[in-house]
Amino acid sequence: MASAPSLAASLNPATTSDDVQRAELSEIDASTKWPALFLLASAVGWLLIGTVFALISSVKMHSPDFLGNYEWLTFGRTRTAHLNAVVYGWSVNASFAVAFWLMARLSRSVLRHAGLLIVAAVFWNIGVTVGIAGILIGDSTSIEWLEMPAYATPLLFLAYALVGAWAVITFRFGKSKHIYVSQWYILAALFWFPWLYSIAEIMLIFAPARGTVQALVNWWFAHNVLGLWFTPIGLAAIYYFLPKVLGKPIHSYYLSVLGFWSLAIFYNWAGVHHLIGGPVPVWVQSAGIAASFMMVIPVIVTAINHHLTMVGSFNALKYSPTLRFIVFGAVSYTVTSLFGSAMAIRSVAEITHFTHFVVGHAHEGMYSFFTMVMFGSIYYIMPRILLKEWPSAKLISLHFWTTAIGSTLYVFDLKIGGFIQGLLLNTPVLAHKFGLQPGTDPVPFIDTVKVTIPYLQWRTYSGILMTVGHIAFAINFAWIIVRSAQATKTQPTLFRTPPEMEVTAQ
Amino acid sequence: MDWFFYAVALPMAVLFLASTVYALYWASQKGQLRDFDKGAESIFDDEEPIGRPTDFFPGKSPAVKTPASKS
Repeated sequence: MASAPSLAASLNPATTSDDVQRAELSEIDASTKWPALFLLASAVGWLLIGTVFALISSVKMHSPDFLGNYEWLTFGRTRTAHLNAVVYGWSVNASFAVAFWLMARLSRSVLRHAGLLIVAAVFWNIGVTVGIAGILIGDSTSIEWLEMPAYATPLLFLAYALVGAWAVITFRFGKSKHIYVSQWYILAALFWFPWLYSIAEIMLIFAPARGTVQALVNWWFAHNVLGLWFTPIGLAAIYYFLPKVLGKPIHSYYLSVLGFWSLAIFYNWAGVHHLIGGPVPVWVQSAGIAASFMMVIPVIVTAINHHLTMVGSFNALKYSPTLRFIVFGAVSYTVTSLFGSAMAIRSVAEITHFTHFVVGHAHEGMYSFFTMVMFGSIYYIMPRILLKEWPSAKLISLHFWTTAIGSTLYVFDLKIGGFIQGLLLNTPVLAHKFGLQPGTDPVPFIDTVKVTIPYLQWRTYSGILMTVGHIAFAINFAWIIVRSAQATKTQPTLFRTPPEMEVTAQ
Repeated sequence: MDWFFYAVALPMAVLFLASTVYALYWASQKGQLRDFDKGAESIFDDEEPIGRPTDFFPGKSPAVKTPASKS
């Protein structure tokens, strides 16, 4: 294999990739080992931290006195710490690892400059740690999705820029002539995100826009983090692992390409639907609603494609841990996206906006879709970079069922509770028709709060269920790292015997 | 502050769109939008051919390890 090239050589277009031989999959996987391990271990750590903050916040919603004596554990801080830990800690770390592991495999080239990625990963994790500590001591910026104080963000941006530069290098040196649809998704995500992030930081933190423009930029950014970062990475993983695990090509590659380009063109405009009914020019809102509806195209196209790929292979769900999580995530993507488009309709938004319905929707997207897909990807990646089998099938099963049932319960619970809350808040006539209140006069605000309490309690129970799953996952994750390779007798999660795979890069 | 939106945020959104449209143009010029069957099969090779599942629960490997004839 070609020796590690200098950074300058990689950046110089004059150096062609002709001298790079086509790498074997095992070589490629081996070259990703250290950065992937570092990122995934950090991700799992943040997942656990984020889960603790989630549980604390959830309990506080129905028992406000819980841990009420600690300033740094007040709701405004724990909820924000939860969001930032699971989004920037768990999700971004996991998506970095999955994105570059996929990139290396799909461009058929060993991972170049693994050191660069590790440096980026270290910067990223220091940035997230500083940011969350800042939130807990009370330095939150109060701008949703950008709560980390200004002293943490340059580190994060630097890390992102390094990862973006790395992706371009890997892409250029790829030996695969065809750009597979997953590569399009990953490239798009890596290209757009630093751009989004820097503009949002400048316009909101360093030289803040005022008034409604601030809200507009805030939601343009916040929705695009989901739409142009997490969604593409999640879909890239589904488009790779679904056919790869089944051993059959995606049903229609044409549809997958159509899905990508329609997402790329429409998603950027959809964020304004968070401000429907707000003091923003109506034409801007209408543009956001139109874009949200155009998103039905990529969603339906992707759903048809994934489902028709699965047809005839449902039996495979029994034997593949990766497939279970990936299919659960793919189905959730369809459901949550269609809900998202529906919620952009003015008359629906009138009921669901500012209620727990939105929280349920957000978790369906970030958890039932994205996080489950990341779990599935990690189950596939770890045995291949460590050349070891997962130690416990039971823990994997436990992880799947607790998180699948827990997240489903969570989403249904909050959507129902939130909808009732919204009916009482905004549409007394409709609420009366549904038998939720005696008269057609608006009810006192406190009644709209009280009605949500049982749903909030159920949210905590479903949260406990998911926590059990996360602990099972973390145990299995730590176990596969520390167990000795010799202890493995069979290699069912692998497809070749270890000696063939033990080829190291360089 | 209306000017701020019109001067920065809107052009940025338009630029985003423009970058996407350009990428689509580039892809069509490079032939990425032709021969879709080949595209779908590009993730398989001799090492991991079509017809062979690649992931199982540990300790529960079924008898599907025989590689399929078609590739």
